[in-house]
Order: sequence, then C-alpha cells, then structure tokens
Amino acid sequence: MVVLDPAHGGTDPGARGAGGLRESEIVLDLAAQVRRALESQGFQVMQTRSGNDNPSFDDRSSIANAQHGAVFITLHIASTGIPGTVRTYAMSDLAAPAATDGLIPWEFAQAPYLELSRKLGNEVQGQLALQFKGSPNNVQLAAVRQLRTTAAPAIAVEISSVLIQDRADLDRMMPGVADAIARGVAVFRPYYVTPVSPGGQP
Amino acid sequence: MNPRWRAWLIAALAGAVLIAALYFPVLRKRVRQQARSAEQSEEQARRELAQEAAANASAPRVKAKLFWAANPDDSSLAPVMVDLPLSDDPVLRAKQVLNTLLAGPVDTDLRTLPPDAELLAFYLLPDGTGIADFSETLATSMPSGIQSEQLAVDSIVQTLAANVPQIRRLKILVHGQEVDTLAGHVDLLEPFPVNTKTAPAPFAPAKPAAVQTPPTTAPAPASANPQAAPPAKP
Repeated sequence: MVVLDPAHGGTDPGARGAGGLRESEIVLDLAAQVRRALESQGFQVMQTRSGNDNPSFDDRSSIANAQHGAVFITLHIASTGIPGTVRTYAMSDLAAPAATDGLIPWEFAQAPYLELSRKLGNEVQGQLALQFKGSPNNVQLAAVRQLRTTAAPAIAVEISSVLIQDRADLDRMMPGVADAIARGVAVFRPYYVTPVSPGGQP
Repeated sequence: MNPRWRAWLIAALAGAVLIAALYFPVLRKRVRQQARSAEQSEEQARRELAQEAAANASAPRVKAKLFWAANPDDSSLAPVMVDLPLSDDPVLRAKQVLNTLLAGPVDTDLRTLPPDAELLAFYLLPDGTGIADFSETLATSMPSGIQSEQLAVDSIVQTLAANVPQIRRLKILVHGQEVDTLAGHVDLLEPFPVNTKTAPAPFAPAKPAAVQTPPTTAPAPASANPQAAPPAKP
C-alpha cells in the first residue's frame, strides 16, 4: 500500500510562481501520474486528497498510520532550486522525548522508521538522478512537518520549481518523476520489514 | 522719504541678500549630509545591534563563522568568516551573530533569510535550550518549500553552533508564538539540535560511546588581525 500526499490544497495554494502557477494544483496532477505508475507495478494506492481540499498534517499522517505496512510519499513543487531538478527528503534525526514506557508520542511517530525512510529515499532519489541531471544522487534530510507524524517509511519528493514561466516544463517532468518513484518503491519493497515493536526494544 | 534714509535702507537690503547668497550653499550642504546619514543609519541599525556589547566591554574582535548559501541555487551552505566584537555572554553573543546573519552577506543572492526579517528576542534556558523569537516576516517573506525553509533553519542552527557553544538545542518562535511550520513545510514545534556533541540525540543511531567534549568557551580563533581596534561607537 502506498499513500500519496499531494501537499497543500484548499485555502493553502502552497508555493506560487510569478506566472500564476500554484503548487497545490500541480501536485494533484502529479499524484495522478505517480498513482498510475505505482499501480502498473502492482501497488495499491491511496491519496490523502483527490480534490481541492486541505486536510491537516495530522489527518494526512493518520491515513498512512491506520494502514499496516504502508509507504508514505508527500509531493511538492519548490519555489527555489535549479528548474528541472528533483530532490527526495527523509526526516532528519528526531530529538527524543522523555521516557514513554514503549509508547511513542504522536510527534515522534517517524522515529522508528528513520532508517527505512532513508533507504526508501535513496532508492527513489537514485532513480530520479538518472533522469533529471543536476539532481542530487542521495536522499536529503530535513525536518519536514508532514513526515514527523507519519508511522511508516515516509519521504517527500520536491520538484524545482514554480518560478518557471511555462507550466508545460513541469508537466513534461511528471512522467519521469512518476516512473522514478514507482521504480524506487519497487526496489525498496524487499527491504521493508515493519519494525516489530516500535519504541520498545531497539 | 529722506533720500539719505532710503540709501541706507537699500544698502542694508543689499547686505542681507549678499549674506543669504553666501550662506545658502552651506545650508544646502548640511541638509544633504543629514539626509545621507539618515539613510546610512537605517542600514547600520541592525549591524549596530550586533555591537551593543562592545560599548561597555572592550570585547576583542574575533572571527565569527556565519553560514550563508554557498550558491544562488539554495542547495547548500558555506561558512564565511566575519570580524565581529563578540561578547562573552552567550545570549548577547547569539544576538550578535543572528543579527549579522539577518543583515546578510555581501552578495545578497546568497541570503538564507528574508531581508525584512528581524530577531525580536533571544533567551537561553539553564538546560542549554536557546529560544530565538523572530518577526512574522521570517515566515511571510520566506520562499515556500522544503529546500528553502530547511536552508534557512540550517543557516541559523549552524551559525549558532559555530559561535555559541553553550546552546544545545534551538527553539524558533515567530512573533512570540509557537508555530507548526516555518512556511508550510519545515517543522518548528520541536527544537533543533545545535551542539550535538554535548547533547546526544537518543533516537540517533547508536554510536560507540563518544567522548563527551566539554563546551569550549572560545570556539573562534583569537583575532588574526592584530590591528583591529575595538569598534568606535558612533
């Protein structure tokens, strides 16, 4: 099961370009293409939104957290970076909460999955780097709010950028991005062993 | 009217005109100078904030290490050494380096923070948690995105780590409030680890027991420029 998260939406347009491009609209189209590519690899796909609404960060995480063995991918268009490049992010190290008796606080849901998320991110970014010159070869680490509360291998994929004049340049990247994500998730699949008791014994 | 009286009047008026004509360029020069100094003082105001401690202490100029963007693509940071009269007090020191970071590098394309963002306050708790309170413009003027927001946070965290060893972690507030994210992506609810050597993150992958190095009080090398005089307060 792959949960796709087209970021922003509703009253939150996300990044906005001078040419009127809105991140919230573009990622919805991108999600549809990624979905098709994943389904053709035999994956089941859910989306956190399929219309112009804006579920909260926690609602979006909940969709993945309710599934057993899900993978979570949030899709973004940046307002910076070299146009035509793509970066994959995994959550940076989480400072630990106080002792929690084996229960993991919601804000630290990603903690048991950090290593798996980085593995997934490296597989996806490796595929992206093959198609989009100038993109990094490895996953980047960032304190992405959406990933923090997700109890699953979780990555963010961010394309540069909304600052381009013509949306067609972004549209042309979509099939390549969708294909790279689907291949990366397929390569990751055999490595995905759910942590036995999250937060219990390390 | 007495012609003699009239001659006196004309002479007096001519004298006044002559004096005014001589004095006019002097006045104009002064007005121009004042206008120019007003422009400068606005720009210098922030930098002077960074020097506030130098007024009472003869703080030696040290090489502070500031982190701005390495290139205009926003992809990574590069350290820049800046001569600053840094205070020994960790809170003043943090304010000084953050205000210098906000003032921006010489090449404005390498800024990591919006030019209109300001540091409103800085606190340091006894457990080593630094709290930096920025103006709302930090969030509203920030280009939205994971890359840009993470670069902004990294530049703040790495600059503090390099210059203020007492800070173990950093909490960022916007206009005195806790906020969910910086500009829609990067999480600001939890503090960021700053000097991780003194505050290991328990969720980090277990490493062989690292030697705990006590925080050094002077991380920056002593001034390499012996001629640097203590800054004069304007």
